[in-house]
Amino acid sequence: MPTLGELEKAVMEALWSADAPRTARDVQDVLADRALATTTVLTVLGRLERKGLVTRQREGRAHRYRSVASREDHVAELMHDALDAAPDRGAVLARFLGSIPADERAALRDLLG
Amino acid sequence: MEVTALSLLTLGVLLAEPVSRTLAAASWPARDPVGALLVWQAVGLAGGLALLGSGLVYGLAPFGSSLPAAVPVAFDALADAAMPAKVGVPQVLALLATLALALRLVGVLAAVTVRTLRARRRHRDLLDLLGTPWPAAPGARVLDHPVPVAYCLPGLRSRLVLSAGVLDALEPQGVRAVLAHERAHLRERHDLVVLPFVAWGATAPFVRGMVCAQLAVAALIEMRADDVAAAAVPPKQLTSALRTMGGAAPAAALSSFTAALDSRLHRIDAPPLPLPVAVRALVRLAALALVAVPTVALLML
Repeated sequence: MPTLGELEKAVMEALWSADAPRTARDVQDVLADRALATTTVLTVLGRLERKGLVTRQREGRAHRYRSVASREDHVAELMHDALDAAPDRGAVLARFLGSIPADERAALRDLLG
Repeated sequence: MEVTALSLLTLGVLLAEPVSRTLAAASWPARDPVGALLVWQAVGLAGGLALLGSGLVYGLAPFGSSLPAAVPVAFDALADAAMPAKVGVPQVLALLATLALALRLVGVLAAVTVRTLRARRRHRDLLDLLGTPWPAAPGARVLDHPVPVAYCLPGLRSRLVLSAGVLDALEPQGVRAVLAHERAHLRERHDLVVLPFVAWGATAPFVRGMVCAQLAVAALIEMRADDVAAAAVPPKQLTSALRTMGGAAPAAALSSFTAALDSRLHRIDAPPLPLPVAVRALVRLAALALVAVPTVALLML
């Protein structure tokens, strides 16, 4: 029994590899070897939507889903979080995501591209 | 009670400024980071108690001879809407100032906490989607990016993260050394250790002592994590891993980063003599006493 996390990964991969927005049915077909129920796919898509990773638009009776950003964009976002001190010194997160002083943010951003 | 109020105010101001600056500039904390962190926590707690307490004690003085006696009387008076004649403008101002400081402190703390938790959740969601588990270290995830970076995401569902650049730059023992350092941060919840100082720093960024405190505490938790890591892996492995990471990271181009790294590496290579046991005990006692003084003043005097 795959965990929800694994399913989320698989569904995101299916959306990232698609050229156009996909319906839950499309995703289910792409992941046919996992033999997922449509409701399962919809549940996972709903979770991804709540996490802000997926958007959907209505088309006829179905919804079409697409990823908000590419895989590379998301990795870049994580790396920025990690190397970037947050906008203000107040974020503890920044302290633990990197060890780089806030005033060196801009230079890092340039280097990261 | 006026004397108590004035003493507390003096204590608070002393802790916020000269004491914080002196402690931040002292060299002994490098010889006992844990003791120094305890003293810093005590400075923060005692400073807050003293500053907030002084306003409260002064404002409530007309209601009783001590704070525990005055508080119920003040509440009764408030309920009956009958203020004793002795409550003048200075008392009301003191109470309002105390209330404003308390609200600001709590507000800043709440805002920082909410923002941090939200950012962490977002980061963790993405990480779980994009990271690949690294079999050699349970719980560590690898992010596919060439820039070497290793960090931890604290919280109840904490994460250890390595970029692919780290795995390219370091031998497996080096990776283990870096992970030992990050694990120490997670296990000892260093994110919570810095939190009060972040709140104080954001509440009164114009007080230099607060800024000094924040930087000093941040440096101390790194020392502490280095100590833990250097006990778990050969110190040489840790320094060479940190040096390689530092040299490969884009931050290496930035002088202050390398300067901070150099002093850290030097401390691991040539550890300063730990404080004698008796002095360490004394440091911890001093921390305890520091918190006890304003507490006793508030409850007894």
